[in-house]
Amino acid sequence: MSETALPKVGETLPELVLPITPTRIVAGAIASRDYQDVHHDVPAAREKGSPDIFMNILTTNGLVGRFVTDWAGAEARILTIAIRLGVPNYPGDTMTLTGAVAKVGEDGTVEVAIRGANQLGNHVTGTVTLKGIGK
Amino acid sequence: METDPLYETVSAHTADPPSEPVSAWDPVNQPMIRHWCDAMGDELPIYTDVAAARAAGHPDVVAPPASLQAWTMPGLRMRGAEDGSTRAQATLVEAGYLAVVATDCQQTYHRYLTVGDHLYATTRLDSVSPRKKTALGEGYFLTSITEYRDQHGEVVGEMLFRTLWFKPARAQDTGALA
Repeated sequence: MSETALPKVGETLPELVLPITPTRIVAGAIASRDYQDVHHDVPAAREKGSPDIFMNILTTNGLVGRFVTDWAGAEARILTIAIRLGVPNYPGDTMTLTGAVAKVGEDGTVEVAIRGANQLGNHVTGTVTLKGIGK
Repeated sequence: METDPLYETVSAHTADPPSEPVSAWDPVNQPMIRHWCDAMGDELPIYTDVAAARAAGHPDVVAPPASLQAWTMPGLRMRGAEDGSTRAQATLVEAGYLAVVATDCQQTYHRYLTVGDHLYATTRLDSVSPRKKTALGEGYFLTSITEYRDQHGEVVGEMLFRTLWFKPARAQDTGALA
């Protein structure tokens, strides 16, 4: 593990801009083995009050994990991911993931506050904790 | 105070014992990891390159932590075990609260899962909200707790998962909760 300095509170993560396409939504649903119809079947989604299919939470979780380790690197260990969903990720939208270091513990545990926003508002907000960041 | 017999019935399931352990279909394996990483666009090498995983201190290729829940998902034919949350869901669906969205997911990883690890999940219903008006329609929030163990019986991860079960409001509405 690298001996270089820990990140500082307030350090921001490189933004991740993700076009939300039907293909991305369906690919994520299938890779996470989530066959809820609202994640792939437009008429079924409409019947349940949604204008279109929307991203499942497992994919959002996977994207949040990726967003944070893209920055933290291969030696980091994710300890927790806690997310809350707001507005849906519908096809045709774009989600921009942003994040910043919120806390750095004496034991090297780093807490990152994340947000994924689309044109409707915040799709996801949450906190990821990691250790072993050798940046 | 107004009583809600449906709430009483549903929330009684918080007293149910946890599910029987649900076994993952397969041990943690490279094809599923690769499929996950491809869909997420995750190129961290420790998920697909043994040398990179070892260099980072892992015994072998590891699964992305966020994929924890995927290994024991019930699949298309909804194979799984009954527990208080599945019974609560069935009761709500029968009462017309048939639409569902996930609202919260809190996962703790005690260690990274490596190729060959076999997961078992037990789930229980932790809490039920009173009926609430949301942008999507009226409904109930169910919160479940899942514990993930490996082939040695060690707890490797935990998850709090919250879903809203609701009667759809007008189909034209947009911009509601996810």
